Amino acid sequence: MSPGFTIVSHTTNSNKKRLCAPPESNLGRCGFRGSSHIGVPYSTSKGPGVSHPYDSGHVAMTYTGLACLVLLGDDLSRVNKEACLMGLKALQLEDGSFYAVPEGSENDMRFVYCAACICYMLDDWSGMDIKKAIDYIRGSMSYDNGIGQGAGLESHGGSTFCAVAALSLMGKLEEIFSQRELNRIRRWCIMRQQNGFQGRPNKPVDTCYSFWVGATLELLDVFQYTNFEKNRNYILSTQDRLVGGFAKWPDSHPDPLHAYFGICGLSLIGEANLRRVHPALNVSQRAFEYLQHLHRTWRGTCT
Amino acid sequence: MSATTQTSDVANKSALFHPATEIPAYYRMLGIEETSQVSSELQDEKKSEEGVEEEPEIDYENPFRYMFYRDRKEWADLEPVPQDDGPNPVVKIAYSDKFTDVYDYFRALLKNDEKSDRAFTLTAEAIELNAANYTVWHYRRVLLQALEKDLREEMRYITAIIEDQPKNYQVWHHRRMVVEWLNDPSEELEFIAEILSQDAKNYHAWQHRQWVLKEYKLWDSELEYVEQLLEEDVRNNSAWNQRHYVISHMTDYSDPAILNREVQILQDRGLSSHPGLLEQILELKETHCSPYLLGFLVDIYEDSLENTSGDQEEVLTKALELCELLAQEKDTIRREYWHYVGRSLQTKYCSSDPSTTSSAPETDRGSASVSVHQETTCNS
Repeated sequence: MSPGFTIVSHTTNSNKKRLCAPPESNLGRCGFRGSSHIGVPYSTSKGPGVSHPYDSGHVAMTYTGLACLVLLGDDLSRVNKEACLMGLKALQLEDGSFYAVPEGSENDMRFVYCAACICYMLDDWSGMDIKKAIDYIRGSMSYDNGIGQGAGLESHGGSTFCAVAALSLMGKLEEIFSQRELNRIRRWCIMRQQNGFQGRPNKPVDTCYSFWVGATLELLDVFQYTNFEKNRNYILSTQDRLVGGFAKWPDSHPDPLHAYFGICGLSLIGEANLRRVHPALNVSQRAFEYLQHLHRTWRGTCT
Repeated sequence: MSATTQTSDVANKSALFHPATEIPAYYRMLGIEETSQVSSELQDEKKSEEGVEEEPEIDYENPFRYMFYRDRKEWADLEPVPQDDGPNPVVKIAYSDKFTDVYDYFRALLKNDEKSDRAFTLTAEAIELNAANYTVWHYRRVLLQALEKDLREEMRYITAIIEDQPKNYQVWHHRRMVVEWLNDPSEELEFIAEILSQDAKNYHAWQHRQWVLKEYKLWDSELEYVEQLLEEDVRNNSAWNQRHYVISHMTDYSDPAILNREVQILQDRGLSSHPGLLEQILELKETHCSPYLLGFLVDIYEDSLENTSGDQEEVLTKALELCELLAQEKDTIRREYWHYVGRSLQTKYCSSDPSTTSSAPETDRGSASVSVHQETTCNS
C-alpha cells in the first residue's frame, strides 16, 4: 500500500462542498491505492491529483491505509475524508455488499468489513447505507449458524469475523441478532477449536483462524471459555525455528499474514509482552485509544 | 554487447524475419521473432518461466530467446512508464528485470488507454507475472470488448489460468464476466466439477457454482452431484452446504414431504427423526455419542424450556447433566464453555420463584449477569 496516497477530486476548492459529485469529478473513484503500480507520479498532496483513466482506490487499501496511519500516530489531517467516503459510497451494491474497486470486482463480506472499518475510523457512516449492509450480513447467516461470504454460501471463520466485527463497529451487534441467534453463532465459532482453530467444519486448523474465530468469540464475550493452552501450543507449533514468523501449519513456510495473525491470536489469550489487539478493528488497543482521542478532537469534545 | 551492435544485428536479421501473421500468437507473445527451431525455443521458455534471468544480448547460437519490450522495435513508439515509489519506499519489492520491463510498458499502454492487439497480447504476459493484478484484468476486459475478441478463445484461456491458480479471486471474476457476455453457462458445471475434483472444498469454485446455478437456473442435476460428493466424503461440509442451497432453492423446506425425506436420509445415516426426534437422539446417544449429538440435545432441551410453560425442572436437570457430561468427558476442550452454557440455563430457567426473570446471562461485555433466587436444582 502506498503510504499517504489518496486520489482526490479534480474539482477546485470553490466546488468543494457538494451534495453529489459533478460530472467531471472522480469522487466516486477516490480512496487509497494498494501501491504505485499504476505509474502516477508520487504525491502526498490532499488536492487534485493527475488525471488517469484507470486510477482508483481499493476498499481494502483504504481500510489498511487509514489503519496504518492511525497505528503510526498520524492525525489524518492530510486525508481527504470526504473523498474517501464518496469513493466508498460508490462501491456499495443494492444487496448491501461492496465491490473492492469502482471498475467492478467480486463482492462479499470482506469488503463489508473494510467499509465498516473505514466509516468507523473516519467517524462518519455516510459512506454506506447501514441498513442494506446489515441486511446483507443477516442474509449471509447459514443454516448451521455460522456466516458465509454471502447468502447461501458455506459458513466460514473469515466471513463470520467480518460480519460480527462490522456489526460491532456499527454498534449493532446485540440489536441485529437475537440472544438465541448470538448463542448459535457462539456455538458455531467455539466448535471450530480442535487445538488451534479451523475455518470451516472438517477442515484442518490454521493459525490465522486463531484470530478470525478467536476475535469473533471475544466480541461475543465467550473467548474466555476456549482452551488457551491448546490454542497457544498450536500457534507456537507453526513458528519457523530458522527464520521466525508463523505459518498456517507446522513445518510450513511462514508468511506475513500468518505471522501477523499468529501474534494476534496470542494477543487474544493475553500472551506476555504483546500489546492487546482490538478484536473488531484489528489494530492494537493502544492505537484504538488514540483513534478515540482523535474522534474527540474532531467532535470538539476534547479538552 | 553494445546497443549499436544489437541494432545492427536486428537489421541484418531482417531478411530472415517473417511477417508477424505467420507467427503463432503464443510465440509472438513471448517475444519470439523467428519461426524456425520452435521446439527448442519452447524448452528455453520453460527455463525462463522457472525464474532464470534472461540475457538481453543476441545469442547467435540460439536466436529464439525472450526479448525485452524495451528492445522490440515495434514498441519503440511507446515511452515506458516507471513505477514511482517516491523518495522513501517501504517494503520495496525486488521485481525481476522481466517484470519491470513488462509492467513499464503496461503502465504506458494504460496511461494512453491504448486499444490495440499488441496491448491485448501484453496483458497476458502481465497476467502471467501477476495474476492477482486486478487492473490488468480490467484492462484486458476493456480490450476484449473494444477489439471484439473471440470470447470462446477467452474461455479456453481463462480455463487454463484457473486450473493453474484455482484460489485466485481475479480469475474467477473474469470467468464470470466472460460467461455473462456470452450468456453461455454450458461449460460451467463440468469445469467447476473438474476443479472440485482437485480440491473438493475450494470456496471460489463453490461460489462460482452457486452463481451459475442461480443465474441460469441449472438446478436439475445438482442434487445428484452433491450426493456423489457426499458418497466420496460424507464429511465434506461444502457439499452439505450445497445440498441445503439446492433444496432451499428448488423447494420449500416447509413442505413436509421434503422435510421427511431429508430427515430420513439423516436417519439412515443414524442421526435423527423429526416426530419423536428426542427419542431417536436419546437412542443414538447410547451408540454414537459425539459432542455434536449431545450439543444438539442440549439445544432441544433449551427449546423445550423456552417454549413450554409450567414446571420444567426435569428438563432443566437433564440439560444441565448433559452440559456436565460434555465438560467432564465428551468435549473437554470446551469444558469452560459447557459450564458457561449450564450456568446460563440455570440462571434463565430456574423456576423456583415464578416472579423472577433474568436477561440473557453474561452477554454484555464487562457486565455481570442478573442472579436469581435459587432453590433445588438451581442451588448448585
